[in-house]
Amino acid sequence: MVTGLIRRAIASAASSGSTAAASFRYVCVRAMASEAQAQQVDLKARDKTDIKTFSIYRWNPDNPKKPELKEYEIDLKECGPMVLDALIKIKNEMDPTLTFRRSCREGICGSCAMNIDGCNGLACLTKIAPSEAGASMITPLPHMFVIKDLVVDMTNFYNQYKSIEPWLKRKTPAAELDGKEIKQSKKDRSKLDGMYECILCACCSTSCPSYWWNPESYLGPAALLHANRWISDSRDEYTKERLDAVNDEFKLYRCHTILNCARACPKGLNPGKQIQHIKQLQLKP
Amino acid sequence: MGPSSAPRRLSGMQKQVLSLYRGFLRAARTKSAEDRQRIESIVSIEFRRNAKEVDRKNFLYIEYLLRRGKKQLDQLRSPDIVGLSATNVSFSQTKAPTH
Repeated sequence: MVTGLIRRAIASAASSGSTAAASFRYVCVRAMASEAQAQQVDLKARDKTDIKTFSIYRWNPDNPKKPELKEYEIDLKECGPMVLDALIKIKNEMDPTLTFRRSCREGICGSCAMNIDGCNGLACLTKIAPSEAGASMITPLPHMFVIKDLVVDMTNFYNQYKSIEPWLKRKTPAAELDGKEIKQSKKDRSKLDGMYECILCACCSTSCPSYWWNPESYLGPAALLHANRWISDSRDEYTKERLDAVNDEFKLYRCHTILNCARACPKGLNPGKQIQHIKQLQLKP
Repeated sequence: MGPSSAPRRLSGMQKQVLSLYRGFLRAARTKSAEDRQRIESIVSIEFRRNAKEVDRKNFLYIEYLLRRGKKQLDQLRSPDIVGLSATNVSFSQTKAPTH
């Protein structure tokens, strides 16, 4: 299409010939389309609309009826590419009562985690499926208590994260270090790769069927990933105590390597692999 | 000697609601006298209003209220919290600016 425009531009420039102003010589050399042709292309794109239907889970605690899937129609030509753009557009233009969490819009905060077309993910990183694929269904994270619309109660998830004590614990007194930082080799630091990037979005834990059936007793892939992060940290001296704290039939061994977590993680991490690592460490005497 | 006014068998959910109410009253006992009166009145008004308005079969909403109440009770139990207060917000129809 572009080459066609260039060919037409050269033809029109050549035909206007030597009588044209000096600017046309520039047009000949650079082969740009003329103003009229640019206007034509713009009109063609504006005529078509690409309507996509979103059916979004709605439940209002102030007016408690049964939860329902409400349908909204969005013109994809006037909307950004990600699901979060569509949600913001619906909230701005169509229904201001739609409630959802969001913050960074770039996939680093983990606030906008929700279930889009059956798969857990971040709304700001999930592209809207083309309208040919039918309506998109947006529901909150599965098996979590709903506070309103797409907002879920994350307190249990955060408490589980707190329970594994995600901070550095040392036995040697700090005076021995002369006020300098605790040293760690590059090799030991690379052991933490794949674990420190976790943003606690809860996509993995809420995709695990084992976590669905035992949310209070099983820690879930996210908390166990962080447990492994602190167990594998060479600077931490409470490794044995950390391993003993998790070594429980429910806390660790509810994991049956279903590996839904690795599929759901929007950052591409593999919590199942880290849980396997903890299980192997438990085997050592 | 007449029929007892309390229901004979309480369901699990009814027991939870009653234990939450008891928890609130017990937490109120630990605060000062005037705060205790205010907490008791706010809590009892809220519980009685919901008992009348909410349908007995609306389990989803009752569980939501129970969870919310438990969180509020945990906050109230902390020694830093002095008391509860409630404000009434009424929505008046405001005219849109005409320019």
